[in-house]
Amino acid sequence: MGKVQLLALAATFLAAVSYGRSQAIQTTPSSSSPGLQSQQVKKGASLFQQNCAFCHGRDAAGGETGPDLTRSRLVAQDFSGDKISAVVRNGRPEKGMPPFTLSDTDISDLVAFIHARRMEATLHPGGRRGVAVADLQTGNAAAGKQYFQGAGGCSKCHSPTGDLAGIASRYKGLRLEERMLYPRGVKKRITVTLPSGKKLTGTLAYLDEFTVGMRDSDGMYRSWPTRAVRYSIDSPVDAHVALFPKYTDDDIHNLMAYIQTLK
Amino acid sequence: MRFVKSPLSFSVGACVLALVSPVLTLAQGVGPATLLHPPPDSWPTYHGDYSGKRHSKLTQITPANVHNLGLAWAFQTGQTATIKSSPLLVDGILYFTVPENIWAVDARSGHLIWRYTNPPTKGDHIGNRGVGMYKDRLYFMLPDGHLLCLNAKDGTVRWSVEVADQTKGYWTTMAPLVVGNHVIVGVSGDLDNLAGYLRSVDPDTGKTQWQWDSTPPPGTPNKATGGMTWITGTYDPKLNLIYWGTGNPTPVLNGTTRPGNNRYTCSIVALNPDTGKLAWAFQASPHDTHDWDAVEVPVLVDGVFGGRPHKMLMQASRNGYFFVLDRTNGKNLLSIPYGPVNWALRTDKQGQPVPNPKKAPAPDGVLIAPDEGGLTNYRSPSFDSRTGLFLVDAHPSYSLYFAKPADGTYGWAGADYGLWGKGVIEAIDYKTGKIRWSHDAGPHGSGAGVLTTDSGIAFTGDAMGNILALDTANGKTLWHAGTGAPMQTSPMTYMLDGRQYVVSGSGTVMFAWVLPQTDVHPKAR
Repeated sequence: MGKVQLLALAATFLAAVSYGRSQAIQTTPSSSSPGLQSQQVKKGASLFQQNCAFCHGRDAAGGETGPDLTRSRLVAQDFSGDKISAVVRNGRPEKGMPPFTLSDTDISDLVAFIHARRMEATLHPGGRRGVAVADLQTGNAAAGKQYFQGAGGCSKCHSPTGDLAGIASRYKGLRLEERMLYPRGVKKRITVTLPSGKKLTGTLAYLDEFTVGMRDSDGMYRSWPTRAVRYSIDSPVDAHVALFPKYTDDDIHNLMAYIQTLK
Repeated sequence: MRFVKSPLSFSVGACVLALVSPVLTLAQGVGPATLLHPPPDSWPTYHGDYSGKRHSKLTQITPANVHNLGLAWAFQTGQTATIKSSPLLVDGILYFTVPENIWAVDARSGHLIWRYTNPPTKGDHIGNRGVGMYKDRLYFMLPDGHLLCLNAKDGTVRWSVEVADQTKGYWTTMAPLVVGNHVIVGVSGDLDNLAGYLRSVDPDTGKTQWQWDSTPPPGTPNKATGGMTWITGTYDPKLNLIYWGTGNPTPVLNGTTRPGNNRYTCSIVALNPDTGKLAWAFQASPHDTHDWDAVEVPVLVDGVFGGRPHKMLMQASRNGYFFVLDRTNGKNLLSIPYGPVNWALRTDKQGQPVPNPKKAPAPDGVLIAPDEGGLTNYRSPSFDSRTGLFLVDAHPSYSLYFAKPADGTYGWAGADYGLWGKGVIEAIDYKTGKIRWSHDAGPHGSGAGVLTTDSGIAFTGDAMGNILALDTANGKTLWHAGTGAPMQTSPMTYMLDGRQYVVSGSGTVMFAWVLPQTDVHPKAR
């Protein structure tokens, strides 16, 4: 028996016996029968294999570039597809996920499948891929603190009692480590000098070779040809990129141990 | 050429063909002569020719006039799937694809001639790279592992054969390569422990002629599976060898059950196209644990290396190494990283990188450069013989790789997370591996392929969705246009009616670019 069929069977079984969130996607009482729902999961499984499995793994537990959806916070918080649908429809361009044009029914089926997978992962922990908080405890906090203050140069920008105070309460495990190594989506400040000599500052909103765009303090978007203005971008996050070639894996594990003490 | 169904379509077709062809012969689709020496009004195979250089002799569009380049037409697929195919051009008609769909489009006007849509199939719909063509037939692969043969004139199906078993986890995406009387097809399938293979089928019947297996059958003790063959290879007619890249081993991130080098995964192999017999193999990533398929185009170049003429093969590999091989025997001439690479200890006597065991995925994570998408991926590089530059869309990047016993030994068997990356178009001097210039292509990565022309232009794209014309000699931008989505394919070019067209796909739209009539024919009104 192929893996897909096995999976569909397992998902069907789970959907039939469990009455978790996935059931909430049903909108009419008559459609909440286990039979219909298992059909939905089955259809969702097929759609998932075609559209999502390449990145998120055949069982939604993570694969090539795509995260483990069974451990996703967004999936856990999703109710009736209210969060998942938007991600499917709009994609996450900043993370490389394309938007998908699927019908409401297709998306409901996908949501049913994803919740069924999540349910199974919760019932059978241990056998799946993913990174647990416990996996990331191999470092030495004292060595990490030393790296933070010394070789890593972290303390040039960050302070354990300032911007990083309580960081380990806000983020945990892999999310914390990813943010530690490279915080995504950090806003960059830009100063644009117009031909008149006038200076404008704001948040960098767009940049390619030809166009530079910013939002000013009022939230207004403005852009210019890059050739027509002078601009400078303040991007302290680049210091994280400069560290990549310098880290040893021990440095990272130690730093992680130290950052985790900042609760 | 068969004219079975419609005498009308024949006569219309013949008129079109007569107009297309400068010599007034009835075009016969794609024959061996076209494939061996593609005329300027054709692009008869995925790479344009057998060499994989993606370099055109056309010179109408020059660094001096490219700033006038404008849109000839745009074709909207109306599909959600991104165009990842490289169009073929034969007899004035472009053929391009997304999974389950082929469009035949007039190369002059961009209007639809016919469209083929397959009924929905199971299997992974990750992409489709295009069709292959032999005589008046197209060869097209489906997500469910079927190979279709269609009539090029109207898109009707002649036959369909299964070349890979979707129920086991295979799918197919690549553009078949036609060599002589062989249609050569490769397969995909990373999510399961499956053996990779390359197969040759009869162009008339779809019957298997030979199959070359990159790995032993699943379940063979201590052996890797994998080694998928999902990008179109290249061919040297004089040596009568095809060159193909193979994908990563499986289980992907956990190498413990597959000790040793895991031949022939992550390899460049040379095979006899008539028998499928292996002539030689070079392993780009022995014992890979990072998903770095070595399927990137094996580019064939004749030139001087180390002061002596060589028949070379060059690959900018996903694992971050640029390789130059002697393609007569697979002997290594150069192995050198072309961006951040932190996973290898050294290269061995054969020029193959030796993986650092400390950089295998671990329970608490290891920092790896490049990321799993690699320092480059499937989009084509280009070789410009005038400058000796190998142009590649590079992706300097860092990521975390994890694997623990609980992740098992099936399929992915671990997890990896990209941390940071950017796109850079790099020009590599093939004699030394030195980066002659690099052109920033934006955050995350561009994903665009590269086309060079004899006039000294390199067409490619950036991460924001601009198509770029760069000066091949120095990487300076000569022209650009915003297309609304990053290019996920490789540009191609052709000459029709005395006009040079450059065709690039971005998102779900295919664009054709030309110079204004007045630039091309100053006297024309």
